[in-house]
Amino acid sequence: MMWLSRLLTPLAPLLACIGLLCVWQAASLALDTGSFPTALEALRAIPDILGDRGSLINILASLRRMAIGLALAVLIAIPLGLLMGRSRNVAAFFNPLLMVIYPVPKAALMPVIMLWLGVGDVSKTLVIFLGVSLPIIYHSFQGARAVEEKMLWSGAAMGMSASRRMLRIVLPAALPEILTGCRTGLVLALITMITSEMIARQSGAGNILFNAMDMAQYDTVFAMILIVGAMGIILDAAFERLRAMLVRWSDAGRAIPLSYS
Amino acid sequence: MIAVENVSHRFETSGRQSHLALDDITLEITDGAFVSILGPSGCGKSTLLYIIGGFVKPTGGVARVQGRAITGPGPDRGPVFQEFALFPWKTVLGNVMYGPRQQRIPRAEAEVQVRRLIDMVGLKGYENFYPKELSGGMKQRVAIARTLAYNPSVLLMDEPFGALDAHTRTRLQNDLLNIWERDRKTVLFVTHAVDEAVFLSDKVIVMTRSPGRIKTIIDIDLPRPRKRAELLLDARYQNYVVAIERLIDDTGIDEAAR
Ligand SMILES: Nc1ncnc2c1ncn2[C@@H]1O[C@H](COP(=O)(O)OP(=O)(O)OP(=O)(O)O)[C@@H](O)[C@H]1O
Ligand SMILES: [Mg+2]
Repeated sequence: MMWLSRLLTPLAPLLACIGLLCVWQAASLALDTGSFPTALEALRAIPDILGDRGSLINILASLRRMAIGLALAVLIAIPLGLLMGRSRNVAAFFNPLLMVIYPVPKAALMPVIMLWLGVGDVSKTLVIFLGVSLPIIYHSFQGARAVEEKMLWSGAAMGMSASRRMLRIVLPAALPEILTGCRTGLVLALITMITSEMIARQSGAGNILFNAMDMAQYDTVFAMILIVGAMGIILDAAFERLRAMLVRWSDAGRAIPLSYS
Repeated sequence: MIAVENVSHRFETSGRQSHLALDDITLEITDGAFVSILGPSGCGKSTLLYIIGGFVKPTGGVARVQGRAITGPGPDRGPVFQEFALFPWKTVLGNVMYGPRQQRIPRAEAEVQVRRLIDMVGLKGYENFYPKELSGGMKQRVAIARTLAYNPSVLLMDEPFGALDAHTRTRLQNDLLNIWERDRKTVLFVTHAVDEAVFLSDKVIVMTRSPGRIKTIIDIDLPRPRKRAELLLDARYQNYVVAIERLIDDTGIDEAAR
């Protein structure tokens, strides 16, 4: 039995995917409606999309916006979260602001933002930035707050200034928690990316998806869903490897399975 | 000289109560003295060390180093915390290198010294281990080496040998005495072990149960350099140990023996 489980564990995700596709295939054959293509039809449409120059440009434009939004969020949210975690005043100032933004679905701000900034890249990048920032701020805040005080005292005794302790002690100590926030942020960035393109149809992966929907090309719709899903899995897996490498030293250094947060 | 003048400390606990941890402590520690603090668990030994370290501001009284009121931590006073407080993202080598690197000592130069310290605390071969890969006693030894590495003139040691086996403890006691005799550091040493306090110290401070007050200060008048094997047979040493244990018995320190 041991050899069987050793064989199955690495294959489990693959088996799950194949299982899902089988269920899909069966369900679609059983329902037999025009708006629900079979798994095979959807898979067959993928090369057409990826082979098409226009579609590729659209998808790359999406990814570029996502990368910029994510990078901006990381640059701003991590320092802000860490400062909030270490200073009661900073936390007291920003907390109410964040609590107001927190429950609002960021894509719902899209129409307003479009009014101000147009339907172009700026609006969509801004929405991605907003969507991603909150979990990163929150996790950085929690991480900074949990830093053991005596670690900071040790640094102070060595003559480190407050700003240096922030950079050289709080940041590394909170890193496992920060990276957990970034991982959530990465998935959120993908979600916000698609929703923003659903609202501001102009370019992007979401644009392809919803245009195909309008034209009743359901195999393309489902193929796009598969492509977006695959992008999510690949990005998450790549980030997870980076994360595990960066926090090798911590208990969180072990790879954790895909999170749903 | 370290002077603690009428220092009291009151904690505000989360239950909106206040708790008097230290009550009117006055003491003087001359430069180069080795002073131990004994007292029941919770009597404020750590708090007193934090105040001298400048990490905690006392709610009453004042503590001074070389005549100047202590307003914050500084590299002249090196703490070894009960909880070790190692940097988990640094290896053993990285942790011990941290202080010297903060003081801008060139890497190569610092490393020679640091490797010698790591060897002294018996962790040669563990230089590239992360704290999570060490046992409690090993972490404690890294913490000691990390503080010694930046060469503070005052050592504030909070039960630094608490997690060690008897053999390692004896070895490190001797190493500490050697360093102290060589560099003439001032050492403030919190411990629960009476024999350790007598063996190491010029003075032993016995504190009362919470709120912590000073019960007695005993001068240990034993010749130096001290050899453990000789001392154990020395009637004067035995008398000190017994006398202090009696004192502590009616303070209730036995509760604290862990
Ligand atoms: N941050 C804090 N907030 C409230 N009360 C505290 C705090 N830290 C310590 N105390 C209280 O102060 C008293 C002294 O604590 P301290 O840690 O100095 O004792 P200690 O003598 O070092 O004990 P031990 O031998 O167990 O280490 C205790 O009664 C404790 O409850
Ligand atoms: Mg203590």
